[in-house]
Amino acid sequence: MIGRAARPATLGLALAALAAAPVASAAWGALGGTGRAYPTERLLGLAASHAAVALPGAALGALAGFGLGLVVTRPAGRTLRPLADALVAAAQAVPPVVVVALAFPVLGFGAAPTLLALLLYAVMPVLRGTVAALEAVPSDAKDAAAALGFSPFRALREVELPLAAPVVLSALRVALATSVGTAAAGALAGAETLGTPIVLGLQNQNQLLVLQGAAATAALAFLADAALLTLGARMLPAGGAAATRGA
Amino acid sequence: MIDFEGASVRFGGTRVLHDVTLRVAAGALCALVGPSGSGKSTLLRLVNRLVAPTAGAVRVRGVDVANQDPARLRLSIGYAIQSVGLFPHRTVAQNIGTVPRLLGWNRGRIAARAEELLALVRLDAGLANRYPSELSGGQAQRVGLARALAADPDILLMDEPFGAVDPIARRELRAELRRIHAATGKTVLLVTHDPGEALELATHLAVLRDGRLVASGTALDLLAEPVDGFVRELIGGGDLWLKRLGLLPVRAATEAAPPPPGAPAIDEAATLLQALSRMVEERSEVLAVRSGDGDGAPIGSVSLRGVVERHP
Repeated sequence: MIGRAARPATLGLALAALAAAPVASAAWGALGGTGRAYPTERLLGLAASHAAVALPGAALGALAGFGLGLVVTRPAGRTLRPLADALVAAAQAVPPVVVVALAFPVLGFGAAPTLLALLLYAVMPVLRGTVAALEAVPSDAKDAAAALGFSPFRALREVELPLAAPVVLSALRVALATSVGTAAAGALAGAETLGTPIVLGLQNQNQLLVLQGAAATAALAFLADAALLTLGARMLPAGGAAATRGA
Repeated sequence: MIDFEGASVRFGGTRVLHDVTLRVAAGALCALVGPSGSGKSTLLRLVNRLVAPTAGAVRVRGVDVANQDPARLRLSIGYAIQSVGLFPHRTVAQNIGTVPRLLGWNRGRIAARAEELLALVRLDAGLANRYPSELSGGQAQRVGLARALAADPDILLMDEPFGAVDPIARRELRAELRRIHAATGKTVLLVTHDPGEALELATHLAVLRDGRLVASGTALDLLAEPVDGFVRELIGGGDLWLKRLGLLPVRAATEAAPPPPGAPAIDEAATLLQALSRMVEERSEVLAVRSGDGDGAPIGSVSLRGVVERHP
């Protein structure tokens, strides 16, 4: 699992290097481009505020998606499933710019509407992943848990969730990468993110800024993915790997 | 130990069990036999409340299961199924220790018990830290049996527990179950579609057809005349009386007449079916019967004519 994190980490670092002002200038110059680069230290500041919006957005959305996924797979919540599916699909279908625009009157300008958009975007992949993961738990293991005397809660905690964990982790990766990528659009709503140099570059016909913003956003997405993979490797039970390998 | 009192089950509009009344005595090994769809698994699942009766009652240890907490009831009853249902994310030892852990045993006691059970089901202690995906079918079934026995329940429910293994492993597992049953005196309820398995293992057979109990008793009771047509077909196959002879000891047809000199010998505890086989093998219509414990001197004889005319 540590091995799996190595690739996104390497890519992330390489893209981060590309976003840095001197490297970006040199690369852009070599391609025949011109323009002033965005200063590296300001880029780092934007990366921090970008993360400060993207990570809570992904986390809250993931939490909501995971919670909903648990509810609609319980016998008592099964009837809510079509409703939850419809709501979440609708949330996904609305473009982030529209969410931001619609949230203006209530949440104002800046980070808050961006956070809302990211939250809504993270819900669906995590909900879908959680439901799929729980439904993929072998039914004989679930039946055996009930027959051996697990309470429904203990069966969920000790049998279903550990077996579902690898698939849920994949869904979390999707949500996190989407969130970090989409947060760049928050610049349109005035949120200080790595989308800021992109917007600036587009307004001033300076593609170097667009390159830097895009590379920095992608770098952050890959680094976040690597961090999540590392965290997942620590938290997944040792048998999780064996379970996915064998059954 | 287990009493079904007019138990009926409906799933939607379908009647799965109808008015089944059956008593399973403590220490019995009761086999539920019948064609698929006859309701045997449902009857088994009534015992630990995986299915609730739509009419009638089920009592376990004298108490109606409807009045018992399902989780606690299930912790007190061993359960082994054909698909085994081992937890793929837990090692063999952890799987075996499932119920003890739910019961709150301490770690040392659970580990010791897992080791003990691996020995009981004759699995290598080295398998303790393996994952289920690394086991053969027969090994997985044994682990499933060990898990069912872990907290030493006085009742064991088994649903086609040896269904998914090859014939040799199946025979071994049957012998294991018979040995464990004899050694522990547990009450066992066994669902099987294999009448041979039922005849070999059970102290009591219950025959189900379309959700109704059509016959119940010892193997000899069920194979005694007049045999119900359905039971004859299900259990007897084409050789009902050979199966019956397989249940009777040689001593049941032994005559006092001394055997002719040189007659092949057979133990008095062997079955009449084995005696018949030996007669054919030795081309001899008479065998000398030896007592099992004595000095091997013949205590009488058994003849082909005697088996044919005087079998009980």
